[in-house]
Amino acid sequence: MSDTAFFKGLMDEALICAYCGYCRSVCPTYAGVGWESCSPRGRIQLTRLLLEGTPLTAEQMARLYQCTMCGHCTQVCSTRIDLREFWLAARTQTVERNLSPQGLNVAKENVVKTGNVYAYQNDERAGWAEYMDDAPADLYQRGQAEVVYFVGCSSSFSPRVQRIAESFVRLMTAADVNFTILGKAEVCCGFPLKVAGMQDQVAALIERNLERVRATGATTIVFTCPACRMMWREEYACHLTDVRLLHSTELLAELMVAQRLSLKDVKQVVTYHDPCDLARNGGVYDAPRQVLAAIPGLQLVEVHERRERGLCCGGGGDLEMVDPTLTQRVAARTTSKLAATGAQAIVTACPQCVRTLTRGAVQSAPDVQVLDLVELCARALEA
Amino acid sequence: MPVNLSGIPTDRVTEDAIERKLYSRDLAPVPAIMVKPFFHTLPDAIIRPGSAEQVAEVMRQATRARIPITPRAAASTSYYNTVPVRGGWVLDVNDLRDGIELDIAQQTVRVLPATTWFELDDALQQRGFAVKSYPSSAVSATVGGWVSMQGHGLGSLKYGGVGEQLVSLQVALPSGELCTVTRESDPPLDWFVAAEGTLGVITQVKLTVRPRPAAESHHLFAFDDLNTLGQNVASLSRTEPRPFTVFFADSGYLRLLARAGFHIPLDLPQSHFPISAKGLLLVSFQGEPSEVSRGKDSLVRVAGRELPSELALEEWSLRLYHLRTKRAGPSLLAAEVWLPLDKLQNYLKSVKNLAEHHRLLIGTYGLAVTPNMALVMSLYPTDERHTIEYLAAIGFTKRLHDLAARCGGRPYGVGLWNSAYLPRLFSRTRLDELKRRKARLDPLGIMNPGKLYHASFPLWPITFGLGASVLGAAHIMLAHREERP
Repeated sequence: MSDTAFFKGLMDEALICAYCGYCRSVCPTYAGVGWESCSPRGRIQLTRLLLEGTPLTAEQMARLYQCTMCGHCTQVCSTRIDLREFWLAARTQTVERNLSPQGLNVAKENVVKTGNVYAYQNDERAGWAEYMDDAPADLYQRGQAEVVYFVGCSSSFSPRVQRIAESFVRLMTAADVNFTILGKAEVCCGFPLKVAGMQDQVAALIERNLERVRATGATTIVFTCPACRMMWREEYACHLTDVRLLHSTELLAELMVAQRLSLKDVKQVVTYHDPCDLARNGGVYDAPRQVLAAIPGLQLVEVHERRERGLCCGGGGDLEMVDPTLTQRVAARTTSKLAATGAQAIVTACPQCVRTLTRGAVQSAPDVQVLDLVELCARALEA
Repeated sequence: MPVNLSGIPTDRVTEDAIERKLYSRDLAPVPAIMVKPFFHTLPDAIIRPGSAEQVAEVMRQATRARIPITPRAAASTSYYNTVPVRGGWVLDVNDLRDGIELDIAQQTVRVLPATTWFELDDALQQRGFAVKSYPSSAVSATVGGWVSMQGHGLGSLKYGGVGEQLVSLQVALPSGELCTVTRESDPPLDWFVAAEGTLGVITQVKLTVRPRPAAESHHLFAFDDLNTLGQNVASLSRTEPRPFTVFFADSGYLRLLARAGFHIPLDLPQSHFPISAKGLLLVSFQGEPSEVSRGKDSLVRVAGRELPSELALEEWSLRLYHLRTKRAGPSLLAAEVWLPLDKLQNYLKSVKNLAEHHRLLIGTYGLAVTPNMALVMSLYPTDERHTIEYLAAIGFTKRLHDLAARCGGRPYGVGLWNSAYLPRLFSRTRLDELKRRKARLDPLGIMNPGKLYHASFPLWPITFGLGASVLGAAHIMLAHREERP
């Protein structure tokens, strides 16, 4: 249906919800759980009960967090409710009533104390660069640059997806992009706290990141993490003037058009998985496909459920922190559908999708490789 | 007492209080004062069987213990068809989904009942086929659910109701027997069409499909008076080649959309009163290119003003999204009626007169679903937060059903709430026949009790008629308090 979606407030939209169940038909976590309370329309009713003062337990309200914020429910909602806004506001209400899952409080403490959700020392943020054979002496931390690569917590700290950061800096280096990373000065963008309903904790993070980015004089900030990109577009952009906020695939597409990257043959059959926060929630559908089309020898076989109807990996909306078993269930289902295309590899453009789909593939498609588009491009650089 | 079902995994059963509450409603919220004194809508447990065999097992045990069973899939109706009224177990069949087996040679498909029409059509389209018809709630409405209702919607004009497309059904009977019924079997499959889950639970559906249409064409016409609109809907519905669908809407429907914040394809005056007699007609052809081309040629006889093709395409793309009018609410009540096409203009004019006389906003839209009949929905906004006003608005539905009855119409679907109209819905002979079937297949009356066959107090025609008339009048009085549109 059309792109128009509305959010007038929690109670208004809860009343407007027609209980038609369109949302239920596309919800990846409802498919994994099966009870009405885990359907979007069920969660709306739970929120209404909460607002009306019905005594509810944290266990019952956990249903609100069994949601990946994939945005598919908004896409199909018959009464055009902006359900992503709804979930954010509902989670804030849950937090205010002390009914949010304990795991999220731990994540909040981690971010507040260390500046990242993984609770690592934030000094180690650029640790991945130290392990690169070809990293320059400055480890890509240059102070002033035209482009800031905001690496994000996952690619900075999660071993499986640090290769994304490595690959992307190699690509930018090959394309002679004047870029820098922020290293230990980068802190969590605040996305995990925002989607947890802990928006009040986000302002300090925004201020710290903005200060560092401004100091670089950069006119472009680029993200390999779609959630970071979305967070910056929604919460940081109003503080910035004349700064472009791009996803890595958008920058790569520009570099391809400008013929600044020379890629060699990659003889592989791949399928592309649209990350929810990049595609349905972020509006970027074509750039990754343009990049894939520019890799010689590569064969793309698309899954039927793509673009606006793209499948969810199960890793969004803080679900992995709250219910990793459900994340795994969704990931296995999605990986299975993607693998059914006959592809040798699932290519996506999000570190969280790579993490969850990799684990999903272990369960449902062990012969299929999962990698980020920047990893594939970096291979094509070296091929 | 905890539910202990042998043969059913424990994680497929819940007695959680909040969960049960969520299963005690459908589309239309009904105030507790109308429900609690008379009906036991809170199920004792919800059971989610994972296979047809588990459905049958639950039925067997429910029969043994004489526990009411209410089957439920999308629950996308508004008459409490899938809400228990005597407690018991709700059988959530949503895990009986997909399992699509296409027989290309026979042009038939076998499918599990909780597959939505959108999913089935999507799967068929990928293989060069399509469903013949689907409901206007196809994104959530399930195949089994639509069979259990009367099953008329988009495409029915050309291909008939879903009942005509059925080849066979697999049904779990209250006895616990899992049987396949066909047109020749005893009982025949016709018994289960529109039985609203009162005879058994459908666990598999086999129906005919069509090759994916090679061409389609959509045309939108504006009319300045309801007479011409009604006549053109009727004549187009009988034209050859037969359109895939003919959709119509009056200015009240467009006004609701505008009030809800959506773009509408016609200019309407600033004020809703006096109510504009304008209306819209969307006609769609699907099939072989030559057939579609002949269809387009037949449109020269349409007396309306054709609107640009992009508007027609937009209207077509929104065919499953009429509920967006609910943003004009926040609550929306409706009378859905089955109406002779020859009387359509009379009905549309009657609704307009009623709305104008009492200064109400009522929107009407519908589909021609046979060459002679239309499925018509009249909607009006209200607000369930104001209980008295809302109760009155519910009573007003009868006024619309009465208008339809005067035009030869009747309610579409029965469930609980429309059981008040049983004398309009069925002849005595027909009702006796339905009761005989029920007595034979469900002698203990455990299947979806309290629906379809008889009206329970306060839905006895006399008490309901009196109560609804008073409430309907109150709605008109209360509605006068504000300049609604």
